[in-house]
Amino acid sequence: MSFDPKAATKIPPKKVTFRIKRFNPEEDREWWEDYEVETYRGMTVLDALLKIKEEIDHTIVMRYSCRMGVCGSCGMTINGMPRLACQTQVAEVASDGKPVVTVEPLKNHPVMRDLLTDFTKFFDKHRRVKPYLLRKDVDERETGDYEYEMLPEEHYNIYEYTLCIACGLCYSACPVVASTDRFLGPQALAYVWRYVADPRDEAWKERLEMIDTDEGPFSCHYAASCSAVCPKMVDPGAAIQRLRSALIKYRLGLYKKKRISKKVGPMEEKKPRKDLPPEAKPVDGVDPWAKDQEPVKIPVEKLI
Amino acid sequence: MALKGKENKPGWIASINPWVLRIVNNPERLAFVLHRITGVLMALIIMAHIYVTGIPAHTGWEAWIEEIQNAHGITPVTLYFFFFAGIAWFHGLNGIRLLLVEFLGLCIGEPEKPKPPYIAPSLKGCQRKLLYLVFALWAILWILTGYILFVA
Repeated sequence: MSFDPKAATKIPPKKVTFRIKRFNPEEDREWWEDYEVETYRGMTVLDALLKIKEEIDHTIVMRYSCRMGVCGSCGMTINGMPRLACQTQVAEVASDGKPVVTVEPLKNHPVMRDLLTDFTKFFDKHRRVKPYLLRKDVDERETGDYEYEMLPEEHYNIYEYTLCIACGLCYSACPVVASTDRFLGPQALAYVWRYVADPRDEAWKERLEMIDTDEGPFSCHYAASCSAVCPKMVDPGAAIQRLRSALIKYRLGLYKKKRISKKVGPMEEKKPRKDLPPEAKPVDGVDPWAKDQEPVKIPVEKLI
Repeated sequence: MALKGKENKPGWIASINPWVLRIVNNPERLAFVLHRITGVLMALIIMAHIYVTGIPAHTGWEAWIEEIQNAHGITPVTLYFFFFAGIAWFHGLNGIRLLLVEFLGLCIGEPEKPKPPYIAPSLKGCQRKLLYLVFALWAILWILTGYILFVA
């Protein structure tokens, strides 16, 4: 998602109306509700929603955690675009001319209640692509005594894909996912490319054959909305095109992974911990773990 | 009892509705929508074309050929050709772009470290220029077709 550096310097309208799409599963009822919120400079949409929840209506349901764009929990459709509520400033989406912000749950994810969506299908697809390193020798993978060599440029090739926080915004923006449940979606396919391109992974053939179905990259129509909404600049759209091109070459017998990295090790054995130097040892009579301890008077000569 | 969530899928038709999702910096989505619409229209036009070109087999070819050859100015035939040309030009030009990007993996940029203003590499480099070129060529060729049909 493109970042507007000027948004941080903008001042939002003093009062903004938040139009929130609500859903009650017990009554199977869906309706829009308006809340007027007094804003301040730097206020995010998540701040505004929490203010509504604390001061106006306690019944609004949403998911959030870190409040700083790391956990990927607070994905919502804000003014028609999937965004992270904690990264979206009110000044970015509301103006004096139109002091209204619409907040809806993410599309393509089933809604549980109000703004809370169910990510079960999304994570099922994520799990299906085996998002971890696979080596032929299972022991070397499981014991952890070895590590795999990797050149900086090889790491650079996959670095942007490792930034994915699985927030589900790309999945929500994808028009193919909107049409069919079978498509794996941009996030899972970006993970496939991340491991196909990773020299430490040995299962690239199995991965390519696994996605050579109508669930895979051939169902993508490159609307590139996934890349446009990604808050971490992961570019899943490009990953799917790379995957598709690799798959065609693989079927023609022209694709081969450049390099499989060798294992390095075994790693150094852990040595017994050295004794602390005498000046770092705790003072006699002081127990650092005791909770209600009287302060101990330490003679000055011991401190010097 | 576990509550069942409400399906929130916009569906195929809604996915080409620009008001369902309003994503900024995403003209590729517009190209996707136009590609789908022009594809469906071309399929319909081709079926109609087969039907219409079958008519002179019964009524005689002379009148038909005369009508096509004298099709100048704003007539139903030239208007049909004009709209068909617009649909076909866009679908063809955008199809070439998609072949380059999707099947050959060209023009999608190289992976890079995220830095402000955080625009994905595939959305700002060669691919984006190619898309604008498609729109520009489409406009030029459509205007040119209109000039040939209505003026020349």
